[in-house]
Amino acid sequence: MRFEDRKLALPDRILMKVEKPARYTGGEPNSVCKEADPVRIRFCMCFPDVYEIGMSHLGLQILYGMMNAWEDVWCERVFSPWQDLDRILREEKIPLFALESQDPLSGFDFIGITLQYEMCYVNILQILDLAGIPLHAAERGENDPIVIGGGPCTYNPEPLADFFDLFYIGEGETRYRELFDLYEEGLPRAEFLHRAAAIEGMYVPSLYKTEYHEDGRLLSMTPVYDDVPVSVKKTLVKELDDCFYPTAPVVPLIQATQDRAVLEVMRGCIRGCRFCQAGQIYKPTRWRSVEKLLEYARELMQNTGYDELSLSSLSTSDYPYLNELLQELIRICSEKKINISLPSLRIDAFSLDVMNKVQDVKKNSLTFAPEAGSQRMRDVINKGITREEILNGAEMAFRGGWNRVKLYFMLGLPGERPEDVAAIAELCNDIAALYYETVPKEQRQGRVNITASSSFFVPKPFTAFQWAPMDRMESFLKKAAYCKESVMKQLNQKSISYHYHDSGTTLIEGVLARGDRRLSTVIETVYRNGGLFDAWTESFSLERWLDAFESCGLDPDFYVFREREKDEFFPWDLIDCGVSKEYLYREWLNAKAGKVTKNCADKCAACGCTSYMCGICISPKGGAA
Amino acid sequence: MSVTARFRFGRKGPVRFLGHLDMLRYFQRAVMKSGIPAKYSEGFHPHQLMSFAYPLAVAMETEGDYMDLDLAEEKPADGILEDLNSVMHEGVWVSRVSILGEGAANAMALVAAADYRIFTGYTKEALIQACDGLLASDSILIEKSKKNGKKKKETIQKDIRPGILRLEAEEDGALFMKLVSGSGMNVRPADILSLIVEKCGEDSRDPLIRRLEIYGEEGGELLPLSDCGGGKKSGD
Repeated sequence: MRFEDRKLALPDRILMKVEKPARYTGGEPNSVCKEADPVRIRFCMCFPDVYEIGMSHLGLQILYGMMNAWEDVWCERVFSPWQDLDRILREEKIPLFALESQDPLSGFDFIGITLQYEMCYVNILQILDLAGIPLHAAERGENDPIVIGGGPCTYNPEPLADFFDLFYIGEGETRYRELFDLYEEGLPRAEFLHRAAAIEGMYVPSLYKTEYHEDGRLLSMTPVYDDVPVSVKKTLVKELDDCFYPTAPVVPLIQATQDRAVLEVMRGCIRGCRFCQAGQIYKPTRWRSVEKLLEYARELMQNTGYDELSLSSLSTSDYPYLNELLQELIRICSEKKINISLPSLRIDAFSLDVMNKVQDVKKNSLTFAPEAGSQRMRDVINKGITREEILNGAEMAFRGGWNRVKLYFMLGLPGERPEDVAAIAELCNDIAALYYETVPKEQRQGRVNITASSSFFVPKPFTAFQWAPMDRMESFLKKAAYCKESVMKQLNQKSISYHYHDSGTTLIEGVLARGDRRLSTVIETVYRNGGLFDAWTESFSLERWLDAFESCGLDPDFYVFREREKDEFFPWDLIDCGVSKEYLYREWLNAKAGKVTKNCADKCAACGCTSYMCGICISPKGGAA
Repeated sequence: MSVTARFRFGRKGPVRFLGHLDMLRYFQRAVMKSGIPAKYSEGFHPHQLMSFAYPLAVAMETEGDYMDLDLAEEKPADGILEDLNSVMHEGVWVSRVSILGEGAANAMALVAAADYRIFTGYTKEALIQACDGLLASDSILIEKSKKNGKKKKETIQKDIRPGILRLEAEEDGALFMKLVSGSGMNVRPADILSLIVEKCGEDSRDPLIRRLEIYGEEGGELLPLSDCGGGKKSGD
């Protein structure tokens, strides 16, 4: 099929009425159209947010490229229609369609939905509803698509259990082929799902029954058949160099939020910060070789025409061959006038030197993420950075000509005391003072500019804080006000600006993060009452959620504000992400004692991930390069 | 030394829903992929020196739009045409490249008129009648909203009759027009279309507007922009 000959699902009169019509027309460079013939599986990849956000996501490009390289599969895309089109689709009863073929979603074999953050759960129901697919997995028939979820939120998918046929736990590169081969056997739906449950990483929620204690806590989740595994083990790529990489990603024609080529240098993180879910669920740390990365970089430039290349990972400074990689990348990129962007770098002598080389822009702001103001609190969360390191980094940056510093903090961390909150202000002040000590008056370009912002901490599954109570909204706000007040008292307060994310979504995010499958009815109620785009502050309504909890007879406080007992059975305990509950509990006790745990590179903390026999667990430098 | 290449390009199909800035980004990336030796601006954010004759409206197709690009070195027009077309995504194509002579004016400054074809659902008879009616009037006043300095919108009346150089009904509901364009008077095909709708009633199909050619004026004559400014063309 030729792109220019594709018939669009929406007539011009509708496309001309909606904001950014190119969100819905597809046909971007490197997107894939296939002939119906050898294709046996139609897969529609869905990111339940707007196009510009969804198209910024690397995972989607990986699966899209990988699946479309298979002759028998055609993978297409769909995103949440923005509110303007949502209204029109409902009024005119136009079924939701995929971008490439513009065919209705209801005719696909699979709808694959990525779960990146809790606040997009309601949008999933919008997609299914607009597509005319029954919301409840139990109500779907032989001709309905299989709805499969993936992504970080599948590490506790329970609040969405009613709506999904299947959750894919782990990295998408490994098990889709197996799943598709099984699908091509043409089994009846129920039998397909039953057999799929035997594939590593596949979690079929309908095959588990749940029992609850009288007080509402979960008692057990047990398979309904003997041959269904009692625990679902995360699947992952053992050797990153051997797996597919999307060097010809779809290049959006309208500006995406992250509009650049992405080079994923590694997966996982060695740091073990106790608040961080990504740090646990993507273990063990695995690296790509410099050789492969350079090959990908060249192909990406050739295939996309992007003028910016971004290195991606949870902590790029921990990539052991960064120096080697950057030397070569800088050479290739400057030749082609391509800018390199380096998020997630720790500020030290090396990174400042690198930034000097890659940023031909004015000395932009530098970002530190101390996460907590006091050393005591940073030890509680195991953020392996000391006050001295922060100040040293800042001093070097000031000497190097930077005069804008951004600092990220969290409020509401377990065990936080007023002095920890005040320490945020003090740290900012110390950094500002350091500027005036370091940079002689005649070399200063105005005042140093310290921007500190704090967000509210939400405890997540598979972290040491999964047992912890979340702070209450009133307390959050009090702390934020106290922090602001403390900033005002500092000597250098004029150089510091402090913001906090006044996020009404925190409570709901907290409930959904550690929720159980009874919450499916709440999500559905919110959707039925008009909830949509909750991740967008302007469309979020806390009241709508609280009303839904009430009408469903569930108490949101139960999910967030109690400290959980050591042995409580959690909704996500059925999932085995590699790290053991014993390890996490040890970390919870260490947090309470303010005891630091060494990172994976320094000393194995016996988290349990060695069972995967790969990456840093078997070789200190990941076996790459 | 500065060499400027002028590209005549077309777009059709779904890609017509892109805005002007999206097209700019699209071509910048295409140039990057093609290996054409684009010249970059100086400064902190070097960018290609690229400009368009006449920004395309969302949903408009074209067969004859123009983009100017400064080159770091002179290259044969044929080669550039081939290089760029080899990385074009379907629905966008380059039909001609001319290397401009020294000191040639940029495409945008040259724009004097443009041809359009609008595909409507009307009968030929209805269109003939409507066109005759319009051409017979001495003046055609339309309301245009204009932003004044304080960002307030104000509506002004404008006579567009002198800007209609040709207006003809064709077969199958097609409507051809040659309209004055540029910084002085600028008549848009949508203006004419709404006048036609006024006369013929609501259209049964979504009209499609296609730009066919953009002209500059040289020696009192309208010339396609690829023929303005001297220089060498692909195919010469």
